[in-house]
Amino acid sequence: MRISTIEQLDEQRRRFAALEQEIPWQVKVCSGSGCIAAGAAAVHDAFVKEMAAAGISASTSFEQCGGGTSLVAKTGCQGLCQAGPLVTVQPGGIVYTRVRTKDVPLIVTETLQKGVVLESLLYRNPNTGEPCRTREDIPFYVHQKFVALEGCGIVAADSLGHYLARGGFRALVHALAMDPIAIIDEVEKSGLRGKGGGGFPTGRKWRTCVNADGDERFIVCNGDEGDPGAFMDCALMEGDPFRIIEGMMIGGRAIGAKRGFIYVRHEYPRAVQRLQSAIDQCVDAGLLGTDILCSGFDFQLRIVRGGGAFVCGESSALMRSIEGFPGEPRSKYIRSTEKGLFNQPTVLNNVETFASIPAVIRDGAYAFASVGTGRSKGTKAFCLAGRVNHTGLVEVPMGMTLREVIFGIGGGVPNGRRFKAVQTGGPSGGCLGEAHLDLRVDFDELSAAGSMMGSGGMIVMDDYSCMVDVSRYFLKFLMGESCGKCVPCREGLFQLFEIVDGIARGNGTRKDLERIEKLGHAIALSSLCGLGKSGPNPVLSAIANFREEFEAHIVGRKCPAGVCRELTTFQIDPHRCTGCMKCRRVCPVNAISGEKKKPHHIDTALCTRCGACRLECDDEAIAVV
Amino acid sequence: MKITIDGKKVEAKRWDTVLTAARRAGIAIPSLCQLDSLENVGACRLCMVEVNHPHWRGAKLVTACEYPVESGLEVITTSEEVLRLRRANLDLLLARAPESRRLQQMSAEMGLEQSGYVRPDKGTACILCMLCTRVCEKLGCNAIAPAGRGLDKRIDTPFGGYPDTCIGCGACAAICPVDCIEMTDTAKTRTIWGRTFEFVKCAECGTPVITVEYRDYAIAHRSLPADYYNECSDCKRRKLAVKFAKVGG
Amino acid sequence: MGDGPRTLVIIPDKCVGCGTCKLACSMVKASGDAMRRTRIHIHNISRERYVQMTCLQCVDAACIKACDTGALMRNEATGAVELQENRCISCGLCEVACPFGHMHFNRATGKPEKCDLCSGDPACAKFCPHGALLYR
Repeated sequence: MRISTIEQLDEQRRRFAALEQEIPWQVKVCSGSGCIAAGAAAVHDAFVKEMAAAGISASTSFEQCGGGTSLVAKTGCQGLCQAGPLVTVQPGGIVYTRVRTKDVPLIVTETLQKGVVLESLLYRNPNTGEPCRTREDIPFYVHQKFVALEGCGIVAADSLGHYLARGGFRALVHALAMDPIAIIDEVEKSGLRGKGGGGFPTGRKWRTCVNADGDERFIVCNGDEGDPGAFMDCALMEGDPFRIIEGMMIGGRAIGAKRGFIYVRHEYPRAVQRLQSAIDQCVDAGLLGTDILCSGFDFQLRIVRGGGAFVCGESSALMRSIEGFPGEPRSKYIRSTEKGLFNQPTVLNNVETFASIPAVIRDGAYAFASVGTGRSKGTKAFCLAGRVNHTGLVEVPMGMTLREVIFGIGGGVPNGRRFKAVQTGGPSGGCLGEAHLDLRVDFDELSAAGSMMGSGGMIVMDDYSCMVDVSRYFLKFLMGESCGKCVPCREGLFQLFEIVDGIARGNGTRKDLERIEKLGHAIALSSLCGLGKSGPNPVLSAIANFREEFEAHIVGRKCPAGVCRELTTFQIDPHRCTGCMKCRRVCPVNAISGEKKKPHHIDTALCTRCGACRLECDDEAIAVV
Repeated sequence: MKITIDGKKVEAKRWDTVLTAARRAGIAIPSLCQLDSLENVGACRLCMVEVNHPHWRGAKLVTACEYPVESGLEVITTSEEVLRLRRANLDLLLARAPESRRLQQMSAEMGLEQSGYVRPDKGTACILCMLCTRVCEKLGCNAIAPAGRGLDKRIDTPFGGYPDTCIGCGACAAICPVDCIEMTDTAKTRTIWGRTFEFVKCAECGTPVITVEYRDYAIAHRSLPADYYNECSDCKRRKLAVKFAKVGG
Repeated sequence: MGDGPRTLVIIPDKCVGCGTCKLACSMVKASGDAMRRTRIHIHNISRERYVQMTCLQCVDAACIKACDTGALMRNEATGAVELQENRCISCGLCEVACPFGHMHFNRATGKPEKCDLCSGDPACAKFCPHGALLYR
């Protein structure tokens, strides 16, 4: 397939759209990382095998479907990772959850051959118990708004044809007809802000780059997502790689870049593979290269793999890494839009930002800006993780409250536990408590509350999480990921960790909180790059919102959540214990004794405070004293 | 162009940093990792200053060694916050290298008696100012470089192995502000970075002058006669003195 | 004298080896083991024969050629070759390169030490009681 003109592109689009109409069954097996881990690859292969055995002609390649041949596609993340592996069957849009290979023959014979929906594999509404057939019925999806994730989980991730059939590269055609400055105007009007965390207005960034002097301009996509619990960029790169390419091409056209780089961390081999396959297909089709669609626009794309350093997600470190140097940030007193990659004006945006660009150009700035709040327009993808019923990938309109995200989409905290805190923004963000639940998801509101939007990790914690321990965790993470270049970040975070670790071990003093705050502010103000500047956020926000918990560790020498081992003693409440023996079985050190139907007892000398018994107990008989 | 530093009008050149402009005007700003002949890295954070501009919405805290001047810039080098940050960073450095005389001296100047932090049990006294690696790079040897990250970050030879390109000049050890680069000189050899170098010995008295590799480097890279590097200073001086004595007498 | 900068003139014939110049130098430039490392030295060539030696501020100075960072520069006003401490990378090559042995590289400070004519007022000449050092 060679596409050298806009007419040819339209022709191919019509051909593939017609082809999609002809496909009898589209079996879309979610091949996001979560579902793959749950066995999606085997499920996909089982479909191919079983459909062949049942005499249903099927292909794994979209381009080879049609004319009676069904499609068994690998798509990107379909969102509801909690219930993976997910399989969506079209037509009908039936969503099957927790599909195992043993379920596949039944799906083939019942659904594909007889058109019967298998209720046992459907998602059940936790409140009503009703089975939900399609996305539209599942509460998890209902409150979401898909812009960047529009195609993720819908299109076959490895097929240019399917992307075209779904309207792909329409925005590029639009952009090629526009004056480059008009593209920037449009992006600026849309109010799109960088979704990697900083929230810098994308249009303004592009404009400063265009106005800067340089021999060449570069466009860089930051796919070095490293926040614990965040996988939006991974999902996008794996699930809709063509969309990222299209977004980067539009950006390249706007700023006059001929070369683009996608920086992907080494830990995302699937993302690299799918992006590379997408780039190869575009090159083969002539959509990347010289004189694209006879517009005179030249554009090349290259993937650069990072070595797995968290700090390389910082733009200047990322550029150093592309140049072949150790990934260390530099002071950005001269912005990278003026002197960036190879000292040339460079635009660097996050994966999700580039994935939003096609929507901005295709639907227009006003349509994009119609969603969102005053200064945060559009949508934001989040990864719901932690103690929440529906973990997974979500995209919500800006301005939705945290409560709506966590309880509406996420379905609240499991096992009837109490919500305690939500950590947004990863290691740069902060921990917000119940009092902040009605905060709106918005760059400025979250920052004002001491957290930040960040790249979009959202970790929900219940009352079994200790905020001192969480602070310690993030400090340890950052300490290990600090590039070590500047003193406050390298030495300061270590000293912060030592103080917090001391508190968690029961060696805290009353002065410690003040010391943390003082040192934390010094680190925030004097660090070289964003990692250090925002590094103290988790602990500072935890102290601001959960001060009494820190004080309990220091003054009372107790960890109320029962997490910090040195400060915890577990005891079985004999009045509540039913003697079910569950805890006894789960205890790894045999510290629990007791006979059936009689109250059990924990030998505190043996107990390692792992908390396994407490999670197992249905009667809340195990108390922290 | 004109900028203001601590209320004083100062003439600055384009591409000046705040630090160079301040030093030229005789205003001292502390710094550990900056040298005019090396690329700035902004590692020690001791040269933090506050900058503001009539066109800005508010002041910024920046490192003077890297911040480029612009016309109308207002710099404050001794605000309470600036001093607090400098002291905080020096405190962290002092915890790392309490024996460093240079740091002790700076601490005394900034009114810091001793570090309020524990000494990290990991790593050496190295404060990663990167002077050694930049000096090595400047000399064109690139024998050492930073390796690892976070607390594990250290200055090392490539993959911790034999430093092929090292010439044993000892500049890294000499420039280190905390004296943490081990260099052992004997009458015959110098050992540094796990490599032992032979000395060129003074043709007159036999005292070590320079390593053989460093002499070869100097012959290749400096426009001086090759026999300039063969004698020690004392012998050279004495020889000249004898010559002078003859002329005079 | 004419327009050029003044020079430090050594008259060995007048030198009695009293060491006042060394003492003066150490007072002004004291560092560490000051008396041994002054920037002026007295060589006892034979009985009653002394020669004072200090930097000649060579016109075509080897130290300047050895320095790759421009840390050694001539002060046009005094004619002295001076060290810009903030440019010196402690390579120590100037010490070895000086053909007359007048550059001392101080390992403790990491910087070379040399005569800079006390910025145009050399203490050694000022205090020489015998007129063996003249600055004119």
